[in-house]
Amino acid sequence: MKIRSRYIRYGLMTIILAQVIYLALGLGARSFEAYCPFGGMESLWGLFTAGEFSCALGPLNLSLLISLIVLVALSKKSFCGWACPIGFLGELLGRLGGKIWKKRPRISAKMNFRLKLIRYAVLVVALYFTYKTGELILRGYDPFYIIFSGFGHGSAGVISVIVTVAIAIGAFIIPMMFCRYLCPLGAVFDPFSRIGLIKVTRDESSCTSCGNCDDACPHDIPVMTLEKIRHRDCTNCLECVDACPERDTLQVRVEL
Amino acid sequence: MKLPRYIFPILIIAALFGGYFLRTAFTQPSTNINYSNETGATATFIVDGLKCKGTAAFFTTMYDSVPGIVGIQTFATEHKAVITYDPDKITKDSIKAIMETPVLFQDGTREQVFKCVSIK
Ligand code: SF4
Ligand code: SF4
Repeated sequence: MKIRSRYIRYGLMTIILAQVIYLALGLGARSFEAYCPFGGMESLWGLFTAGEFSCALGPLNLSLLISLIVLVALSKKSFCGWACPIGFLGELLGRLGGKIWKKRPRISAKMNFRLKLIRYAVLVVALYFTYKTGELILRGYDPFYIIFSGFGHGSAGVISVIVTVAIAIGAFIIPMMFCRYLCPLGAVFDPFSRIGLIKVTRDESSCTSCGNCDDACPHDIPVMTLEKIRHRDCTNCLECVDACPERDTLQVRVEL
Repeated sequence: MKLPRYIFPILIIAALFGGYFLRTAFTQPSTNINYSNETGATATFIVDGLKCKGTAAFFTTMYDSVPGIVGIQTFATEHKAVITYDPDKITKDSIKAIMETPVLFQDGTREQVFKCVSIK
């Protein structure tokens, strides 16, 4: 019996989530923050101007960012679909939402495109304030920090609570809401994801246009109309491949 | 070229390990202070409470006028301080005692900010 790709993904993401919790409990040699690849982006200005890492950031943030950019250039946003703990928690909430609220409203393609612009604004704001102050002053609005530090030092009190609850409710209503519209790391990955070599392809000759793949995609990518999934948001989660009833119609391939 | 779906976990694990080992290429202290040009013995302290640039800067001020301290490098993400000292003037234990001294805050309270977890 073939195991669903989702269960392989969930297995890997559970291991990574457990590692992050282990670090967050202070049991590792470094803080969990030292493993945040977005910290690599936040360090760039300090490194460029003063040769120093900002605040609680260090070499691991930067080296992970670089290795993940290489990963994304190879296999699109596979980090987001197969490894990111925030993406994983968001996906679990989204699945729960789908089970409870069967007929969730679907965001139109136009609105989806517009809302995705917010993540670029988040990226610009996060980098501007970090570069200006040298402090991670947006920690209080960052779900990765808020959740794993347990509303620790630097969180913004009741505002952090509101942000976390809003993101959780959003994930419940719109699948992958944070990843789609708010994640600044996703915005950094976008141009590299476009060139990602390993992607899902669709064989038009055996496709019956049943639409299962479109329904399964958590990022609302119109798989059924595409020959190669070059879309910047594709996380190679393989939900569409699992959902396709026609053998080998959707495949994972190396394609330009 | 068709690929098996296991390519994704393999690539991700490779990227995470690759990133972990690549970090040594960017090793940079959070603070780096030399009080004199002398050479001396070096000890590495893992310090609970040393967690960012601000705490690292505060940590170094505790040794500002301590005789025998030659230099201090801190690595905040690793909670680590590498201290160069003159063993004829100061010992590792007294260096540890200094960092663990309770600090007097502006509101009049005294609190221990740093705790030495290990010395190498
Ligand atoms: S197109 Fe397929 S692989 Fe890509 S995100 Fe959507 S469901 Fe996942
Ligand atoms: S699920 Fe498969 S057969 Fe159905 S539309 Fe998508 S690619 Fe075609």
